[in-house]
Amino acid sequence: MNNFWITVMHTASKRMQSKAFIWSTVITMLIIIGIINANNIMSAFSNNEQSGESPSTVAVVDNTTNDDTIAEMLASYEEGTFDYQNYTEGNQAEALEAVKDGEFDFVLTLKGETTNLEVEFFGSSTDYTVGQEVKQDVQRIKESVVTNQLDLNEEEIAKIYLPISFSEQPLTENGEVQTEETHMQAYWMVYGLVFVIYLIVISLGSMIATEVATEKSSRVMELIVSSVNPIVQMFGKLVGIGIVGLINLAALVVAGIIGFMISDDNILQSILGEAIDVSLLLYAFVFIMLGYFVYGGMAAMLGALVSRAEEVNQAIQPLIFLAMIAFFISIFGLNTPDSTLVQVLSYIPFFTPQLLFLRIGMGNVPTWEIILVIGILIVSAILINILAARIYKGGVLMYGKFSFKNGIKQAFTMSKKEN
Amino acid sequence: MTLMIDHVKKQFGKHKAVDGVSLTVEKGSMFGMLGANGAGKTTTFRMILGLLDPTEGSVTWEGSPLSYKRTNLIGYLPEERGLYPKLTVEEQLLYLMRLKGMKKKEIIKSMREWLARFSVEEYENKKIEELSKGNQQKIQFIASVLHQPELLILDEPFSGLDPVNTDMLKDAVQDLQAAGTTIVFSSHQMRNVEELCEDLIMLKRGRAVLQGNLRDIKRSYGTKNVVIHSDHDLQFLESIQGVTNLEQTADGVTVQIKKEKVAEDLFYAIAEEGFVRKFEVEEPSLHDIFVDHAGGDTNE
Repeated sequence: MNNFWITVMHTASKRMQSKAFIWSTVITMLIIIGIINANNIMSAFSNNEQSGESPSTVAVVDNTTNDDTIAEMLASYEEGTFDYQNYTEGNQAEALEAVKDGEFDFVLTLKGETTNLEVEFFGSSTDYTVGQEVKQDVQRIKESVVTNQLDLNEEEIAKIYLPISFSEQPLTENGEVQTEETHMQAYWMVYGLVFVIYLIVISLGSMIATEVATEKSSRVMELIVSSVNPIVQMFGKLVGIGIVGLINLAALVVAGIIGFMISDDNILQSILGEAIDVSLLLYAFVFIMLGYFVYGGMAAMLGALVSRAEEVNQAIQPLIFLAMIAFFISIFGLNTPDSTLVQVLSYIPFFTPQLLFLRIGMGNVPTWEIILVIGILIVSAILINILAARIYKGGVLMYGKFSFKNGIKQAFTMSKKEN
Repeated sequence: MTLMIDHVKKQFGKHKAVDGVSLTVEKGSMFGMLGANGAGKTTTFRMILGLLDPTEGSVTWEGSPLSYKRTNLIGYLPEERGLYPKLTVEEQLLYLMRLKGMKKKEIIKSMREWLARFSVEEYENKKIEELSKGNQQKIQFIASVLHQPELLILDEPFSGLDPVNTDMLKDAVQDLQAAGTTIVFSSHQMRNVEELCEDLIMLKRGRAVLQGNLRDIKRSYGTKNVVIHSDHDLQFLESIQGVTNLEQTADGVTVQIKKEKVAEDLFYAIAEEGFVRKFEVEEPSLHDIFVDHAGGDTNE
């Protein structure tokens, strides 16, 4: 076993043996299982409470010109979630009073003619869907009343509502058509990956930087770099922490699968089972790896510039800002994957993993462009790591107050190759 | 078969940390490096280890520069002590010695021997942060010698140790030398250097101000002390030519002279006064030489 792998094993095993790592992994796994089953858990509670209860009641005050027809039809309407009752005992004000007394939940006032119906709804302040549903119900009743008045028979009505046959074809021969299903799937995958990259940068990045800074502040670093080339050590650390990250990620995926199995949710299972796009998953993996090396190299470099573990947060702040900017651009970009801004920014290595993945997942990116941009990303990952290694080599022997400009300058003098 | 440092310079920006130092350490010898803080000792050590590239000159061990391919041959005790506080003694040494290419079995076996030698066997499975400073230092020392290096570099090995532990460590260092290890070490404590080293170099602001065999250095060092025990008033000795300093002591005076010849003049001058209980010309201590050359500041 050479020194690179010794460092990898040491870094990874030290991290994974720590109680903090074990517990945070277990807790995140439980949270994921919980979130996936949130619907079941909530409905389990609400079923117990609400199954015996009657649906919300709506008092209908009919002030239309044609004698309560609509109100009565609403009252006999059985399909909706609400229990409409024709309120004949008084006017709107009295109906509102009745709500206060707890007799009804909501009040609906109808005015004008049937064809030109004016509806006022006194509804819920917490749930906008209530109003929408009521509107739909009234609209449906109105349609049936009007078709009745026009004396149309069922055949004629059926003709009106008969759906057209609509088929969408790609513009080019090999193009794809985005269906709602593929759109939503890509949407959630992109959203998920962008979030994962963000998490990886923040958690693994600060893990790397802390690890380096801790070795520096405990002064064990000088002993280590007298045995191992600092550059070998830096990459050993990157790979070691990367392995920890992969194991963590795998644990979360396992938690996700367990969650779905428990949840027994057909829709989710069918998405997971049938519709998963393998090429998109592969891209996700590639971008996570490359993104890790871009941000991880930077984090190791920044960690080497500080002398004490307390200064790590200050040092990696710029990196976290970059990750946050990329994250927010991606969230906005989800709806406009083809905008020029997203296109241009996806060429910048710090944004490429999130934004190019977003463009591939949500829109159409020509193959040459994918190759070009990934090429740029790989080259810049290598360049960033060469630079980081150089600064790391000088930085690990450097102690003093942390400052970016002086630190980097000093690190360069320390690591200066002579002759 | 030696460590050769040949006209080495190291410059950090405008600051010259080491400025043209040359030295040769014979295989199996013990070499002392003296100097006040910031004299360039640690920078020199780092260049020997290959952690820093010299701006000019070269450092070679047995004819070629030390690179990471040969770090297994070197043991290093840094001035700033440091181990992983959260790891146990065993985990610690396993990791560090694996980096030196040792196998687990060998490591455990020789770790137990060393722990026994320093009578700290019971700490094998204790975390470093639970150990006292002196015991941490023992572990640190073990970490630098466990792999039986050919070249051992000790940066201030005795600082912060009590007399008992200092002697324990000194014995260990002498045994290693007897076994053929080449040792380079730096110290502020002149007594240790006088006891251990045959050859030494004294650095000041990156330059060698004194270099060579310890005995030769002492002999060629002109300034000597004359200790006189007498009841007469000897203040007048200060006016004799060649006397640089006169210090009153409880029993008489101690006179510092420029060269041995002056001692004769002193002797005749005192004889005229009458009886003296003691008249002795002393070799200068390394401490005096150091203070003289380094301009004070012998202690941290």
